[in-house]
Amino acid sequence: MGNGIQSIHPFVMFFYYLFVGFYAMFFNHPVFLLVGCFALVAVNLTHDRGSSMKQWLPMMVGMTLLIILVNPFINSRGTHVFFYFRGKQVTLEATLYGVVTSMSLLMILLLFISLNLVLNGNKILYIFSRILPKTAFLIMLSIRFVPLLKRRLTEIQDVQRLKGRTIRQGSIRNRAKSGMAIMQILLAWSLEEAIETADSMKARGYGTGKRSPYNPFRLTKVDRQWLVYLFVLFIISVIGGLLGYGKIIIYPKLGTLHLYSLDWVVFASSMAIILFPVFVEGREQLKWKYSA
Amino acid sequence: MERSRNYLVAISIVLLLLLVVSIVFFHYKAYLLVSLIMIACITIPFFVRFEWREVAGREIVLLAMLAAIAAVGRVPFAGLPSVQPTSFIIIMAGLVFGAESGFLVGAAAALVSNFFLGQGPWTPWQMYAWGMMGVSAGLLRNAWWMKSIWGKCIFGFVWGYLFGWFMNMWIIVSNVEALSWEYFLGIYVSSIYFDLAHGLSNVFFLAVFSASWIKILQRVQRKYGLLV
Repeated sequence: MGNGIQSIHPFVMFFYYLFVGFYAMFFNHPVFLLVGCFALVAVNLTHDRGSSMKQWLPMMVGMTLLIILVNPFINSRGTHVFFYFRGKQVTLEATLYGVVTSMSLLMILLLFISLNLVLNGNKILYIFSRILPKTAFLIMLSIRFVPLLKRRLTEIQDVQRLKGRTIRQGSIRNRAKSGMAIMQILLAWSLEEAIETADSMKARGYGTGKRSPYNPFRLTKVDRQWLVYLFVLFIISVIGGLLGYGKIIIYPKLGTLHLYSLDWVVFASSMAIILFPVFVEGREQLKWKYSA
Repeated sequence: MERSRNYLVAISIVLLLLLVVSIVFFHYKAYLLVSLIMIACITIPFFVRFEWREVAGREIVLLAMLAAIAAVGRVPFAGLPSVQPTSFIIIMAGLVFGAESGFLVGAAAALVSNFFLGQGPWTPWQMYAWGMMGVSAGLLRNAWWMKSIWGKCIFGFVWGYLFGWFMNMWIIVSNVEALSWEYFLGIYVSSIYFDLAHGLSNVFFLAVFSASWIKILQRVQRKYGLLV
């Protein structure tokens, strides 16, 4: 599973994440946000059956509960009073605000989990190499050095352990000291090596002309269709949002939570944006099963 | 100088507009969005300068290597909670190679380490905080007190707190309506221990290792004539 979304062009995915991130911060109707969270959970399930979501689960649950529970007690704005706690009023408005804020944050976290899976290092750098080519090149080089340096670190640590210098034992002072000594060896070794890498780059013609990137992604017709789909729906939801649909007034006095028919239009179009990866995946499944 | 002043004026107008827009249209809800745009506005000139400057291949590779070392530095210290040499390495890069290089190493180290530890809404904040650590080290490198070991230690200690305080901001900004003194204080009090550990480990590393690291970095700088 998850192959369908990987074949979508990075630019399309970039706009998807931009739009959904905007959605999470723009609308504040609890129904919108709650369903948005569920939709993003579904999106994450299509990526890898939710295995990377599980790693973040404690943090997500902890943060959500903390905001929902703490907000009504530290914030006493609003007019619908539930009860008094140590002389401060606990209001419906503050409780609801906590729910809305935590949902919005939860959506952003879920979005980032999906982003880490779909727009992995290569693809995100492809997007930025169009805007900031040199910086993207620097980052790319740096990412490539990380596994190399990790390998060197284990080598250095093995040798140093034989000499009795280890980070695992002793007082904190000594452990920090030997850790830094290992880093210093890594520094001296790697700086020399970096110059060699640079010289070999130069020998192969780095900097002689305009950089020509290898382009592993091609914008196909399907990608263009999805892009139009996302943009049209996004414009509908933003116009709806600017007219006040999908939003509630919390302070100073809670407004109505009722959803009008136009609210449902905005709701449907924004859900259609959020569920876009699910549609891509579903389309692949249908094609796989029913095409001749 | 003239151009940078124009940029500042333009940016302040843009930020003012954004604040007005966020208050009128978003009902005070988009502080996270506005704060991210502010961070982008402040960091863009650094990246753009790097794009426009003639940079030799050796210099790019050197900067990338320093950022990678700073990012990897978290690995051997995994057994020691909230002790990490990343800040120390960024300060060293700023001290030896100057403010712009310090910024690039700091921002790149944050971005690169998060590729492995997980990107999140905190990434831009970390990039900004560590980038500014490198910038300030670079700008102050010729100050008389920065040459002494005591000055460096105080600088590292202060940055331990500044970094933590700045990283607290992203939590506050994303829940700004709940802002009250208790909430504000609660978040800052809960981070005191971590900031103290960060600051003290900076002081320890700077006191014990800064001389030898500066020597190693300056040797490379002089030998190959890089980033002077």
